Amino acid sequence: MKKDDTILEIINLKKYYGKIRGVEDVSLKLHSGEVYGFIGPNGAGKSTTIRTLMNLINKTSGKIIINGKESNKNDLELKELIGYLPSEIYLYDDLTVKEMLDFHQSFYKRNLKNRRNELVKLLKLDESKKVEDLSLGNSKKLGIILALMHEPKILILDEPTSGLDPIMQNIFYNLLLEEKKKGTTIIYSTHILSEVSKICDRIGIIKDGKIIKEDTVENITKNSVTYLTIDSDEINKIKNEIDLKIIYEQNNIIKFMNNLSPNELMEKISKYKINKLLIEEVSIEDLFMEYYE
Amino acid sequence: MLKRELKINFKSFLIWTSVLLLLFLVVFLVYPSIIESDNIKMMDEYVKMFPEEMLKAFNMDIASMSTAFGWLKTEGFIMVLLITGVYASILGSNIVLKEESDKTIEYLNALPITRRSVLTQKIICAIIYIVSMILILGLFNFIGLELSEDFDRKQYILLSITPLFSALPLFAINIFVSTFSHKTKKTFGVSLGIALGSYFLQVLAEMNEVTEFFKYFTVYTLADIRNVIVNVSINPLMVILSLVITLVFIIGTFIRYENKELV
Repeated sequence: MKKDDTILEIINLKKYYGKIRGVEDVSLKLHSGEVYGFIGPNGAGKSTTIRTLMNLINKTSGKIIINGKESNKNDLELKELIGYLPSEIYLYDDLTVKEMLDFHQSFYKRNLKNRRNELVKLLKLDESKKVEDLSLGNSKKLGIILALMHEPKILILDEPTSGLDPIMQNIFYNLLLEEKKKGTTIIYSTHILSEVSKICDRIGIIKDGKIIKEDTVENITKNSVTYLTIDSDEINKIKNEIDLKIIYEQNNIIKFMNNLSPNELMEKISKYKINKLLIEEVSIEDLFMEYYE
Repeated sequence: MLKRELKINFKSFLIWTSVLLLLFLVVFLVYPSIIESDNIKMMDEYVKMFPEEMLKAFNMDIASMSTAFGWLKTEGFIMVLLITGVYASILGSNIVLKEESDKTIEYLNALPITRRSVLTQKIICAIIYIVSMILILGLFNFIGLELSEDFDRKQYILLSITPLFSALPLFAINIFVSTFSHKTKKTFGVSLGIALGSYFLQVLAEMNEVTEFFKYFTVYTLADIRNVIVNVSINPLMVILSLVITLVFIIGTFIRYENKELV
């Protein structure tokens, strides 16, 4: 990825609701065609960051630069660059799907008909249904079409797969990968961590309003910790020697969270009598739980 | 956007207008038989028994209820003032805030349209409906009067446009107030309170000299029906004041809405 590929940059974003912290200090830099997983527990500041990015709420301080220009709620060119799918979709209940799509289309000067038809066909949405009669999954599909039909350069997706069945989820992942190939930058906020390793290039973990970890999915999983289970009569000595976080402990068996390299580990435990040794890979969920805690 | 606004607000416009039309239809159907009966003289005598303050409050000291036009000048136009005022107030408190209350604002905000443009189109829609309601009522009553009796047409035309001078400021005040809230259910009571409270102050102001100062705290002063009945003219100061108040609150709404946190 080239440095001049930056399409979205958030610099020291701070947002306070009166005295209550929304976001303390968030800085991100996203490149064209990158899928960025935005991960964090509830109340960490994900939604506040996204809502500030969308200009729904005003930032306390910091800068948001989109396509080289400082974000401005009245800049329609910038707005056209973004496709947004909120976590909960509220649309105009009195309209049919077709009317909703027509309404959406009326705000764009370009002809969106081809892309609209492609998406409707791909996601198998019945255009004659009323919005108020749509199931959660179908509302989500409509939200996806509305976010994508103007072929935005930046896609902001907040919990996009909630409500979609597994088949539709796969269609959606493929759709995102196609978008990525076209050069669309995607911010993917989710709680479903398996999705992150499936489609994201980079991950940012937000906690207490700050990005606490940011790296490529590859690096995070490569350098990730392992679980280490040791059964030994000298377990107390080992405990003092390796000083790792204990996950589980019973009699002579202890399960540790291990972040030592294999050589370091062997060096530390080789002097003790080990009855059994088990090294397991930590799942991406467990890894994030570590940061969340 | 304007087309959609007109469509979604049409139903409530139709209901409010129909209620008033129905009321006036009943009046025009019933009044000829009242006028022809001997009881009409008794009614005038009966009205004179009311305290002067009350007669003033309902313009009965300057107009007789012995004709349909007389009824319009007393109770009819007061009802039009009140109902168009309540309609304008509810429209003001609802038309912009509804997007937040229904949570559709997140979708609308993501579209390539400025907040200023959203607000402008919603205000245009509201003004179209407020003006239409007053025009339709005016036309309906004009036809009703033409078919019923001889009346002062100039005075009638002036009277039928006066509700505009209270309805527009009420709309503007309420749309401004709505920018301080995120839920329509919170502002609904406030909008009714402003419309009805303002009317109550107007009634008090009309009663006597002691309570006359209340006229400075009610927008219904701007729809100066008494002046139209007595002088057959509209006080230009009231028109200017009405437009200035409307404009000030609309500008305030634009300033507030531009920087509002939409949640």
